[in-house]
Amino acid sequence: MKSAFLSGLFLLFGGWSAAQETAQTSYRVENIEMPAGLDAETGGMAFFPNGRLAACFTRGEVMVYDFPSKQWSVFASGLHEPLGLLVESPSQIVVLQRPELTRISDTDGDGKADHYETITDDFGLSGNYHEFNYGPVRDKAGNLYIALNTASSGAGYRKNPRGPVNLAGRDSTTGRKQMYSIVPYRGWVLQVKPNGKTVPFASGFRSPNGIGFDTKGNLFVADNQSDWVETSKLFHVEKGKFYGHPASLIWGDDWDGRNPFRMPVKELNKMRTEAAVFFPHGIMANSPSEPVGIPAGTQFPQFEGQLLVGEMNHDRIMRVMLEKVDGIFQGACVPFLDGNGLRMGNNRMVFAPDGSLLTGQITHGWAGSKGIQRISAGEKPALDIQNMQVINGGFRLTFTQTLDKKAATELSGYHIRHYAYQYQKKPISEPIDQSNQSDIRDVKPARVTLSADKKSVTVLLPELKKGYVYEFKLENIKSESGTPLVNRLICYSLNRLPVKKN
Amino acid sequence: MKASSAPSLRLFICSMLLAACLLPAFSPAAYGQEPIAITTLPGLQFDKVQVAVKPGARITLTFTNQDDMSHNLVITKPGKRTAVVEAAMALAEKGPEMQYIPRSDDVLWHVPVTSPGEKKSITFNAPTLTGAYPFVCTYPGHGFVMYGVIHVSADLSMPPAAKDPDVPESRKSSEQAHTHHQQAPQHPFEQTPPFLYRAFMEESGLASIAVRLPGELAFCWDAEACKLRYAWSGEFLDMKDFWHGHKNAYAKVLGTIFYRDKATHPLRLGNREVEPTVKFKGYRLVRQYPEFHYQVNGTDVYELIREKPDGSGLERSIRIPDGIEPVWFISGENDGVNYKFSAGTKEPDGSLKLSPTQAKEFTITMTR
Repeated sequence: MKSAFLSGLFLLFGGWSAAQETAQTSYRVENIEMPAGLDAETGGMAFFPNGRLAACFTRGEVMVYDFPSKQWSVFASGLHEPLGLLVESPSQIVVLQRPELTRISDTDGDGKADHYETITDDFGLSGNYHEFNYGPVRDKAGNLYIALNTASSGAGYRKNPRGPVNLAGRDSTTGRKQMYSIVPYRGWVLQVKPNGKTVPFASGFRSPNGIGFDTKGNLFVADNQSDWVETSKLFHVEKGKFYGHPASLIWGDDWDGRNPFRMPVKELNKMRTEAAVFFPHGIMANSPSEPVGIPAGTQFPQFEGQLLVGEMNHDRIMRVMLEKVDGIFQGACVPFLDGNGLRMGNNRMVFAPDGSLLTGQITHGWAGSKGIQRISAGEKPALDIQNMQVINGGFRLTFTQTLDKKAATELSGYHIRHYAYQYQKKPISEPIDQSNQSDIRDVKPARVTLSADKKSVTVLLPELKKGYVYEFKLENIKSESGTPLVNRLICYSLNRLPVKKN
Repeated sequence: MKASSAPSLRLFICSMLLAACLLPAFSPAAYGQEPIAITTLPGLQFDKVQVAVKPGARITLTFTNQDDMSHNLVITKPGKRTAVVEAAMALAEKGPEMQYIPRSDDVLWHVPVTSPGEKKSITFNAPTLTGAYPFVCTYPGHGFVMYGVIHVSADLSMPPAAKDPDVPESRKSSEQAHTHHQQAPQHPFEQTPPFLYRAFMEESGLASIAVRLPGELAFCWDAEACKLRYAWSGEFLDMKDFWHGHKNAYAKVLGTIFYRDKATHPLRLGNREVEPTVKFKGYRLVRQYPEFHYQVNGTDVYELIREKPDGSGLERSIRIPDGIEPVWFISGENDGVNYKFSAGTKEPDGSLKLSPTQAKEFTITMTR
């Protein structure tokens, strides 16, 4: 048993190093030189129309980077923990701070902001250190969306909370290791209309460090694993829906006043909307960040329309591919880039005008790193999984290059497991970030066939179980020219089965 | 078959022999345990980064997790910390079920994943071979910064932290950092007063703005209550705990507070008795001084606070350009300053009354 494991480990390393070499020629990772004296904990990034990068950092600076001259300049300073920004015009940005969403303008054209206008502060603050605010992102109609973290059970609240206090949003006075929401809209996504009016939009989030639109205007939030969030997840966010963490429920318009932590889990389970994608904890991600759509015209056209999601604890950026099954989004996550000089703490991403990807990193006292890196496409494209879709009885995996037939059709090269995640109240004795996979089983593929164009394989399984993650580890696959598959681990969240065609 | 327990078993036998032969009966080293208590500091750190024990000592290591995330503690063979961390990361999908502890001869002992608030102990016999045995959290992402070292040496000697390769960078210079942290740049630019920080401030609303003025003066503006809360002289702020996060910290006032607001809200529009409704709208920088914009009962008010030229207090310039009602300015008693007004008339109770025209622009001078 053990020797089998060790040889497995050896194969793993052998495979990885070959794949890593491929990645080195497929992606280039460069460090952007940060200015001296900056604690480069990146909270947000966006581009001005003139191609300059605006980035905000947790000590309150908004800095502007000019790529040709590699010079940084100060746009604004003194902000309260800015964790997101967007550019509105050549002289105007919107930044989300701890206490408010603020429009910051340079009205005299000297390159430095001189006007700070509160767009909204219509949400509560308990003073708990963990009540981070994420966003804003903007929809096509000009509405802004922000996501508000719940408070940490590891700390209390201060004596002068802002907003009405309702202790029903906490699991008793100790919190019992459940994140809490005792002031309005913690654990919510809010919509801020162009006139500043702030509307509660969706609830049930725990630690939604990451809100973003895909290229078609669908809103997504990545939530972080722990109490009630069995593994980190990507939610498709729609108005009025509840996504599972109960604390925020008390701020619903028609809430009946109960403490949601006292409610039967079954009842909560019925109310909630399941995630589009699970990020298996400790396997794919421990702490995912902002989802970013891959638009047309980037250096990664093979993934156009998909999402990238950063990861804090690994030197990894993930890629998410979605499909609608039975009218609901579901899909798979796969590493987009592992290692190759990429650091951990990938918190915010933005595409540069030249189609390269910038990733801004943060630790904020957790696992992570600091600074900004730029990822460009290398001269030699990697063999990668382009897409994964569910079909009747199995999955179809589409690749970016034509495959070697023998390697692609060997059943032994497909290491497949399935497991589920139970929606539950975290037992007080359970480790805070314990992975709660249940019913982990190896799944032997029944049949694998390569398509005529040699770019996709159909993997048929003995059965498909709704509500399970299907984890594929593709050991053997290589291209016709012998290039190994660069990212071999992919996890599909099978929330719904495909509708059978007769 | 390679069993990871073999070396420790050998060591155990060796040390038992050693104990039996060399040590007097009832010695604590033979029967008792050398306790080592390790806990966490915020920001992926063990509180102890260097520990010394004697070869073969019976050790009970207790790990208490006071952090807000889970950790383990893995003791490795000398020089194998990075290799073990990398092997833990490479566990990939096997990581969770293995507590992120790779099966490797380089791992000597481990405390499994420990939740916030939990405490776990392990007992083992220290190696008989002297050397530096690193301990590290192999939880994903933690291992590159969260580590320390057990030095096994007969005389309990250890290298200085700054020269110890198994001490994290952040801890090597901690003493230096303590002495010089005031001088270390906090931003990528020089800060010349006036400048400001939005931060959590004690005795003020959770939306607060601390403003540094020339002349060693400073004040705290409450952006929730829309009023000046207090003013101080001397050093400005210690931002360290506030920036560090992970607890409900404040930016700490370093100087001496000479003024504290004692009124409910100092401005009344139209009605002297009713406490007004206020709303914060932002600020504009005027020669770098923030001019706050807020509404009192829906009417726009602009307030700019600067130092008195002789440094003896503050000058508050208030504008209510569109007011159509009389305005009162009410100050609390014993708030630490004397008032002078550029316009208006004093009411019998000490408050100031201004006509809408006078209130378009007036100055309040507060002298300590």
